[in-house]
Amino acid sequence: MNDAPLILEDWRAWYPGRTPARDPRLSVEERPAASRVAPMLRRRLNNSGRAVCDMLAELDPAAECVLLHASRHGDSERTLEMLYALNEDIPLSPARFGMAVHNAMIGVHSIASGNRRSLQAIAASGAEVSALFSEALGYLMEGEKQVVAVFSDAPVPPRFADHTQGPSNATAVAMRLGMSAAVSGGQSLTAHSADEATCHGYRPLQPDDVIAWLLGETPLVCPIRRRVWKMAS
Amino acid sequence: MANALELELKHLIIDTLELEDVTPEDIGRDEPLFVEGLGLDSIDALELGLALQKTYGIKLEADSEESRRHFANLKSLAALVEERRVD
Repeated sequence: MNDAPLILEDWRAWYPGRTPARDPRLSVEERPAASRVAPMLRRRLNNSGRAVCDMLAELDPAAECVLLHASRHGDSERTLEMLYALNEDIPLSPARFGMAVHNAMIGVHSIASGNRRSLQAIAASGAEVSALFSEALGYLMEGEKQVVAVFSDAPVPPRFADHTQGPSNATAVAMRLGMSAAVSGGQSLTAHSADEATCHGYRPLQPDDVIAWLLGETPLVCPIRRRVWKMAS
Repeated sequence: MANALELELKHLIIDTLELEDVTPEDIGRDEPLFVEGLGLDSIDALELGLALQKTYGIKLEADSEESRRHFANLKSLAALVEERRVD
C-alpha cells in the first residue's frame, strides 16, 4: 500500500564543487555565506550548518514551518574526536560539545531566525529519507500546512571510514513539503514498494543521491525500507 | 609587558572562540567581554576558562563571583593571568 501523496513545493541543495550546476536551487559554494545568521552565532557552524541555514532561510523566510533534520552520522568529526579526547584525559571543548549534539544545526537556525516551531532531529541508519517523508506526512496529516525536511551528512573522520558507508563529500538538501496540489510549481511525490531486484545495487541513501534525484538524474530508491519515490508535476 | 600580554590574550580570545571578522583592535581593554561589548556568551566563558587552564595553568571555579570579576574585560583578564599564571 502506498502512502498519501506529498507535494514537493520547493527545494534547495548544497553540494560544493558539483558539476554541472545549472539549477539555481543548487549551491556549489565551498563555504556558504549563512548571511542571515549573526556572526556570533555563525562562527559555531561548520560548512554544512552554514548551508542548512541558507537553505532554510530561502524555503521558510517567515520562520514558521515545522523543521525536520535528518543526518545519518551528524557531526561525527566533533563527536568521535571528543571520545578520543576523553580517553586521553584531554578536557572537552564546551563549544564543540554543544555543537556535537544531533539537533545543534537547526537549533542555531532556530535562534537566528526566531523559529519557535517544532524542530526534530532524526538519525535512521541509512533510511533517513524514508524517515523524513514519514515524519513530514505525520505533521501534515495533523494539520501543518508545510514542513521543511532537511537531510545533511559529511564524511566520518578517516580513522572511522573503514567501519561505515559514509558519504565522500559534505552535502545537504532541504525540501519544503505540503499536501496541497494548488501550490504553484509543486510536484506530487508518491512512495511505492520496491522489490529486491529494484533495490539491487543501491546504497543507503545519502544527501547527494537525493540531489541527483531532484535534478532528474537518477531514481530515488531506499534499499533499507525497500521504497521508491516517484515525482510528477 | 601589560600590553604584550593583553595582545596575547586578544589573540587567544579570537582564536579560541573562533570570532569571525574580529581583529585585536576591536577588543577594547575596558570594554565588557560578555553580553554587551564583545558579546560573548556562557559557552564562551567555559571555553575561555578551558583555554586559560591549558595556556597558563589557571583553574577557575565555574560560575563564581570571582570568575565573573576576572572575565569582566580584557584588563581584568590580563591582571588574572599576570597574578596566577604558572608557566
